[in-house]
Amino acid sequence: MQFDDQGRVNKSKKRAVFNQPEAKNRVELFRHLPQYEHGSQLTDLESKFLELDSMHPAVYKVGVQYLAGDVTGGNARCIAMLRAFQEVINDYSTPPGKTLVRDLTAKISSYVSFLIECRPLSMSMGNAIRFQKSRIAKLPLTLSETEAKAALCNDIDRFINEKIILADKVIVRHAATKVRDGDVLLTYGSSCVVEMILLYAHELGKQFRVVVVDSRPKHEGQALLRRLLAKGLSCTYTHINAVSYIMHEVTRVFLGASSVLSNGTTYSRVGTACVAMVAHAFRVPVLICCEAYKFHERVQLDSICSNELGDSNDIARVPGRPDVNSMDNRTNEKNLQFLNLMYDATPSEYVSMIITDYGMIPPTSVPVIVREYRREYLLI
Amino acid sequence: EVPKALLPVANRPVLSYVLEQLELSNIKDLIVVVEGADAALRVGGWISAAYVDRLHVEVATVPEDVGTAGALRAIAHHLTAKDVLVVSGDLVSDVPPGAVTAAHRRHDAVVTAMICSVPVSGLSEAGSSGAKDKTKKPGRYNIIGMDPTKQFLLHIATGAELEKDTRIRKSILRAVGQMDIRADLMDAHMYAFNRSVLQEVLDQKDKFQSLKQDVLPYLVRSQLKSEILINGAPQGQQAKENGNDKVSYRILANASTPSFHELYALGPNGSAPVRRTHKCCVYIASNSKYCVRLNSIQAFMDINRDVIGEANHLSGYNFSAQNNIIHPSAELGSKTTVGPHCMLGEGSQMGDKCSVKRSVIGRHCRIGSNVKVVNSVVMNHVTIGDGCSIQGSVICSNAQLQERVALKDCQVLSLSTSVFLSLSSNEYL
Repeated sequence: MQFDDQGRVNKSKKRAVFNQPEAKNRVELFRHLPQYEHGSQLTDLESKFLELDSMHPAVYKVGVQYLAGDVTGGNARCIAMLRAFQEVINDYSTPPGKTLVRDLTAKISSYVSFLIECRPLSMSMGNAIRFQKSRIAKLPLTLSETEAKAALCNDIDRFINEKIILADKVIVRHAATKVRDGDVLLTYGSSCVVEMILLYAHELGKQFRVVVVDSRPKHEGQALLRRLLAKGLSCTYTHINAVSYIMHEVTRVFLGASSVLSNGTTYSRVGTACVAMVAHAFRVPVLICCEAYKFHERVQLDSICSNELGDSNDIARVPGRPDVNSMDNRTNEKNLQFLNLMYDATPSEYVSMIITDYGMIPPTSVPVIVREYRREYLLI
Repeated sequence: EVPKALLPVANRPVLSYVLEQLELSNIKDLIVVVEGADAALRVGGWISAAYVDRLHVEVATVPEDVGTAGALRAIAHHLTAKDVLVVSGDLVSDVPPGAVTAAHRRHDAVVTAMICSVPVSGLSEAGSSGAKDKTKKPGRYNIIGMDPTKQFLLHIATGAELEKDTRIRKSILRAVGQMDIRADLMDAHMYAFNRSVLQEVLDQKDKFQSLKQDVLPYLVRSQLKSEILINGAPQGQQAKENGNDKVSYRILANASTPSFHELYALGPNGSAPVRRTHKCCVYIASNSKYCVRLNSIQAFMDINRDVIGEANHLSGYNFSAQNNIIHPSAELGSKTTVGPHCMLGEGSQMGDKCSVKRSVIGRHCRIGSNVKVVNSVVMNHVTIGDGCSIQGSVICSNAQLQERVALKDCQVLSLSTSVFLSLSSNEYL
């Protein structure tokens, strides 16, 4: 839904589970994206925790965790959501006079709209929900309720195991062959797949060092850095402003992705496009590691038409440095608008190869996988 | 006489505020535990009359002096859900219990306590509002230590221990790095517990009597050296040793910012968790919410005043144009003034030339003429003779005051007392 369409926004507000006041000072170009005042969102949602009968507590918990930023990252969010849906299915009982298929689909849709209110869905989550709904729709009518519930929970387990966990293992095996002794690997932000690759390659005994590039406001690279150091890898830590200075030492760049689109564009954490472009300029190969369930048939040419806006206070303040606060409290000035983008789109010409669980493919082969294999997993 | 839970605040039993709040939050199945058999009977009777359709309440009786922990032990077999919300019956607040449970669930905590600011008029039992003596009675003090993000509870000490020095666990301080210790917050007695942990602690530690003084500090002290098993399995490990579960667990764990518990639990070099920890969370009631416990006579008067005054959304009554509540069947004599922030109960009669300021008058009172009632609480069926002056006092049910009695800062207890003389400051009858 485009958020500059006032009529539809008002309609959706009426259906909303909790009221979020919209941010007042928004950048004109990004008016079609939702942006809310972040201060009171969490307290509003928390105070409604018990009041809404219609919301399952597991889904509520996941929503609160998304809103508070406790769970980030495509895979983690997807797993958390699917586990919550498993609990929903386990606790579900068909009301009299309704069929399981339709009622459960309606319930899941309402939970999904609640999760969207907490935080807009990532593409991985969207694909998982589509899978889930198609599995519910394909349930044979002859099954009893308990059998149907068991089958659905089984399907969710299989999805997580095959599409996420096993896929990660395959990607790690493939990617580890691309790491040679003496390599300097660069990674940006914190991607769980890239972390697994680095740890696996280290276990295999390869000698390499890692450069972790990080950026404000989230500093996601610091958590990755801590875990890598704990395992004994030699790491360098730098911020994205220095990426062109460090790129001449780097031999390969490994990046994670939130999604890969049909024209080969990688949709990932903001800053990835910058890193990929600098790497391309230095003729360093860029490898994107992404599970196939995150592929999407959409085509996106820029980072504007679909994105996510974060809290503007995060960029106005530096956490832990109360003295660096000249931008603080200026969020309501008329001449000044804050823009905190969360995602960006990396064009396919900067990407050398995409490593997926279906193998190592060039970016132009993504629509092939979407076409050929999407049908297959809907049929399992 | 009247059990504490049924003391009237703005002519409603104080327990009704708690029940109202729980009803608003859609908690329909409650267990009310009362100490003492006749108190239980009266509470049970009142609840079934007032809440017969709206809530499903079970009243359980426990013997006196068994403490809150003992009360929970007695009803342990009734508790079946995954988490238990324990609320003290004398809490008047409009903080939604949902917020406490949301904080509890979000962190998968073992206990979440609600903390509120100390009410402005102070916690001391002694002293009217003009007292200059500010000695703080240690019995009411709380010292609360939290982490910088104000989500986790690191240290809690209640009044009795404060005569000596406060001891803080060094391991907790080292793990978290920075602890904020505050003395201006107090425990509001609304807790959310993980049921299995609560039952385990109550079973193992027989000597624990009170939740607030024994169980909660025990859980907070041992949060980094957890001796309890959560859900029957040590925390941090999956029930199945299946590799896939471990991987997905690790993905989820890596995705979130680790709290200091998780960091502490990791072995040297950040390997697999070697120490068991559990989390004690805290929810701080925001300043815009009203949250006070009825634990002293001063608090009783303050709450009465506040519920009619600033926090009047709690009382649920409609205020008249002059900002007071006068029941339609109350009769006022001529030239009688009832000021703002006052309440006059059903069937009360006031004589001529009376003045009532910032007070609560209960039902069926007979008040003579020329009576001044200021800043006081008068309960039901009280007879006040002519020419009395009552200031800052609490007059309990069925009391009789003769003519020209002046009371200042007193509490007239027990039924059927007749007061003949003037009393002042802090006398009890």
